[in-house]
Amino acid sequence: MNAISLKNLFSFEKTPLNLLMAFVTVALVAAFFAGAVIYILHGHHAYNVTRQHPWGLLISMYVFFVVSSTGLCIISSIGHVFGIQEFQQIGKRAIAGAIITISSGFAVIGLEIGHPVTMLIYNVLTPGLTSAIWWMGTLYGLYLTFICLEFFFLAIKENHTFSKIFGICGLLVGLAAHSNLGAVFGFLISRPSANGVFYPVYFILSAMITGCYLIFLMYGFKYKMNFPEKVRVMLVKLSKILGMLLAVLIFFEAWKILTALYGDMPERAATIMHAIKHPNFWFGELTLGMLIPFVVILVSNAQAIKATVYASITGMVGIFFMRYGLVHDTLLYPMTTLKRAEYQLAPSFVDYFPSATEFMIGFGGIGLSLIMYYFADKIFNLDESEETHH
Amino acid sequence: MARYGMALNYKNCINCRACESACKEENGVLLLPDHYRIWVGVKEAEGQFPNISIASQTYHPSQCQHCDNAPCQQVCPTNATHYSPDGMVMVDPTRCILCTYCINACPYDARYVDQRTMTVDKCTFCSDTRLANGETTTACQATCPTKVRVFGDLDDPNSEISQLLAKHEYRRVKEHLGTKPKLFYIL
Repeated sequence: MNAISLKNLFSFEKTPLNLLMAFVTVALVAAFFAGAVIYILHGHHAYNVTRQHPWGLLISMYVFFVVSSTGLCIISSIGHVFGIQEFQQIGKRAIAGAIITISSGFAVIGLEIGHPVTMLIYNVLTPGLTSAIWWMGTLYGLYLTFICLEFFFLAIKENHTFSKIFGICGLLVGLAAHSNLGAVFGFLISRPSANGVFYPVYFILSAMITGCYLIFLMYGFKYKMNFPEKVRVMLVKLSKILGMLLAVLIFFEAWKILTALYGDMPERAATIMHAIKHPNFWFGELTLGMLIPFVVILVSNAQAIKATVYASITGMVGIFFMRYGLVHDTLLYPMTTLKRAEYQLAPSFVDYFPSATEFMIGFGGIGLSLIMYYFADKIFNLDESEETHH
Repeated sequence: MARYGMALNYKNCINCRACESACKEENGVLLLPDHYRIWVGVKEAEGQFPNISIASQTYHPSQCQHCDNAPCQQVCPTNATHYSPDGMVMVDPTRCILCTYCINACPYDARYVDQRTMTVDKCTFCSDTRLANGETTTACQATCPTKVRVFGDLDDPNSEISQLLAKHEYRRVKEHLGTKPKLFYIL
């Protein structure tokens, strides 16, 4: 932990990139708080969610943040849990990122859940043990505790034994929590396009990919693309892992889509066909999220680290569309297909577009992550220290 | 204990929607978009002029199916959605955290957010407004001019609903999902 004055905390090198990031961060944080005020004044009226589409952008962003957190936790564990030497250097930075992103996720979901205080009380008093949300929420609470302790023993009071114990606990509970988040969607028998084993497994896979993208972005920004040899070697290896994970994800997605379309099963086939025709899928999720990073890694044989950093930007944009699609596509098909009034059309695919407040809170959460990361980078020494070698 | 359900002679429905009005009036449902506990679905006539099948145009009154194996109850993280001793699916507003997972999980679109309490609301078979006062019918049943609805105890073999279901074929909506709904559409 660094001794730091308030002046040092807010001073940074005034490069164009730093200034741009500072502006973006402040603007997003301001948007978050403005959105929060609008929500406090108007409640759920400030959101465009409806009876037919009860979950929207904020649930997507919550998933986006917790996927990021779990991904960073998994990737960091390659080094300090599984003991792969080259990856030990990312431990502290990745765990700090994991704490930061899940905190942003909780901030966003706190403004989506109608009664968060009631949740804290009745989660304990009358737990719904058959509910994937109960397990997900409870396990994520435990996960946050474990990774905070892990970070404490990594960065504040260095103790390799404790950091490893809490690292293993955090990893296991994080995996359980995250697959339960997949089950939140996978358990929906009412939604054939989501129901099944796919999401709980896919969530872990896509979390690892998100973790890789974020490591590339954090290191790309930290070293301004001039990587020391030790970091470059690690990033080349990470790039190879990312390439393999992307190949598996593309394979998974292809079979998910083919299985959904095959046989034209009612509700499922039509929903997936509608979803994959939308640019959110074929441009956002597929091209930006998977193909561009995959092609960069494939063509360069995982050596083009700078290009992979840039591809990680498109990758994260794609990951956003993945999360948005996860929620929106699940809710696309109307649950009752009969019209309720004589002079109206029969319901078709449900429309939804987020309100300004949802954008402010949802994307504002990214600002929270950025500002917390800035402070964490200033206050703590997030790079490998001598003690963590043994 | 009773196990309440409802049979619907839906082919008698004339789409007057008195049931919708009675439900709103009896249970104080707000007159806002998305605020409805029950509704009448309109199935359009099939075919093209002049070969239109008049018989194919039907009306389908619907509401919470009070499933015996309710997905909304399984997914509730705080057990706010629970079964009453009479087998009805109920929401306890003091425990509802408005995560709206139940709205996603319900295959029947039976749930909505009440803007007064900001908790999830749905059909209660008028348990607090009528059954608690000794009535034996729901508001929608009492007001129906063509006697579409028959509410009663499925476990009582002498009840009107049990007699009706014993004598007629019926279907249940989305039964294949394993929800065991307790709304029976008489064929």
